[in-house]
Amino acid sequence: MKRGLITWDKAELPPSVFEARLAKARKALAEQDLPALLVYSDVWRSNEGRHLTNYMPYWNRSLIVIPGGQPPVLLCGLSPRVYPWIKSVTVFEEIRPASKLVPTLLQLCSERGWTKLGVLDLPRLPHEIYAPLESSEVKASDVKLELTDDAETAMLQRAAQMAREILTAELPKGAGLTDYQFSGLLERAFRRAGAEDLILLFSTADSAPRPARGAMLGDKYSVAVALEYRGHWARVTQGLPL
Amino acid sequence: MLLYGNAWRKDPFRSLVNFNFSGDHALARLSQSGEVAVTVSDPWDSEIASARLEPQFARAFHGGASAIAGLEFMEERFVAACGALPASATADVEELRRVKTAEEIGYIRQACALADRGYQRFAEVAEPGMREFELVAEVEGFLKENGAEDNFMLIASGGTEVVGMKPPTDRKLQKGDSITTELKPQVNGYYAQICRTLVLGEPSREQLKAFDIISEAQQAAEDLIKPGITAAAAARAQNDVFRKYGYGDYTGSKYTRVRGHCLGLYPDETPHILEDVDYVLKQDMVVIAHPNTYLPLSGYMVFGDTMVITATGNTRLNKTAKKLFTK
Repeated sequence: MKRGLITWDKAELPPSVFEARLAKARKALAEQDLPALLVYSDVWRSNEGRHLTNYMPYWNRSLIVIPGGQPPVLLCGLSPRVYPWIKSVTVFEEIRPASKLVPTLLQLCSERGWTKLGVLDLPRLPHEIYAPLESSEVKASDVKLELTDDAETAMLQRAAQMAREILTAELPKGAGLTDYQFSGLLERAFRRAGAEDLILLFSTADSAPRPARGAMLGDKYSVAVALEYRGHWARVTQGLPL
Repeated sequence: MLLYGNAWRKDPFRSLVNFNFSGDHALARLSQSGEVAVTVSDPWDSEIASARLEPQFARAFHGGASAIAGLEFMEERFVAACGALPASATADVEELRRVKTAEEIGYIRQACALADRGYQRFAEVAEPGMREFELVAEVEGFLKENGAEDNFMLIASGGTEVVGMKPPTDRKLQKGDSITTELKPQVNGYYAQICRTLVLGEPSREQLKAFDIISEAQQAAEDLIKPGITAAAAARAQNDVFRKYGYGDYTGSKYTRVRGHCLGLYPDETPHILEDVDYVLKQDMVVIAHPNTYLPLSGYMVFGDTMVITATGNTRLNKTAKKLFTK
């Protein structure tokens, strides 16, 4: 789960990067004559929202609304007690509590006079969001966005470099340990280096990579690491002997 | 009937097939004759579980279903692939899951024992100068090293300015800090939880007073919880302690979330322990009572233990001392 260091280093990802990404989203809206873009975000499906706003829900679900000509609004399932922290690590200035996401969204649409809405990857909305939106007065249209740019590529390279360097340094230490023990060692190393999230899979002999289960690693094994560094996932697999 | 799980909400699927898939999706198809067929989206999961592989996962729903547990979490394209809209079986399956089997309680006992050891480690390593995320890294490593499949953990540190817990920051721990945490290690799919507060240095009179109130509230719930008691009554028992000491204003959503919840394959199972939840608690449900609250005395403070409801009362499954930890 997401329990590593979640932060926004503005030297690494300047606000201008997010301004450019939001401008790209607004351009797509204008092309389809839509007043706002909806982006769904939860613990695991956070990449799109993170790319556009640097927001990542460590728990619960949220809806990100990007109006055509106004700042983005976060409809948030988390407690207002954490909103100051959310504001400190994202582009959001306006956060609305939303224990019921769709009614809060429809309220916002009503306030702003929106009768239609773009939805990033509409067919992938969770049914719980899609169904009440579809049956509402607001017409939802699918919007596709290319979520890549130079800053994204640089961050992905950084995440991959971190995964590769730490795994290369730590991999030999697993020999003779159980996968549980090695998992603990790797968790410490990656989390201390700033990993937000980490998925470790271990493989011995001819088996497919799988989560740790208490198996001895011996002297021939491989580890598949999926690491999230500031919202950017990298996947690296290495085996021993190198 | 289908039971669907995705990377965040594995629990509907795992309630029937307790396989910890590492791909994006898994689906169990339960026939009327009781046969179970599993489909996964990831080739490694397919190999390990000897399950049907379907990288185009919408195809797993072709043929439809009468009902789906986890329907609400499914991407709409999967729902559309069913043809006719199936009924949701999520609430019915969640109700079945609330009362645990002896085997499930056994896993939760193991998770509680690990939570206790994890908190012991937390208290051992926390020290002034350490950053919050470094402390979390150490505890996370410890729990994984000792068999946790996953762990949900929140933390906060500081004084009266702290209003709630969140993921770790790079703040350095300081003498005098209240460090609050909840640990939820997962063993064989099942979560257990512990909440404790640690003060670095000698606790202030205000911190001690806040802890006395919060621990009395937790004890009130622990004394009350048994079959037949409502979640509302368990919440009211806790909130009444705050009211008794003049802190009734701090029992609402501005200062706290819930007074507890159930535990199982999901770390925050319903019913939540709240004054407006009339659900009647049953034997063999596993709950945590945690009157975690912001108080102006101390800032946010947490305290809570996992309990299994027995025929006549409850058994606390955590063994960690019920005290304000100091170091």
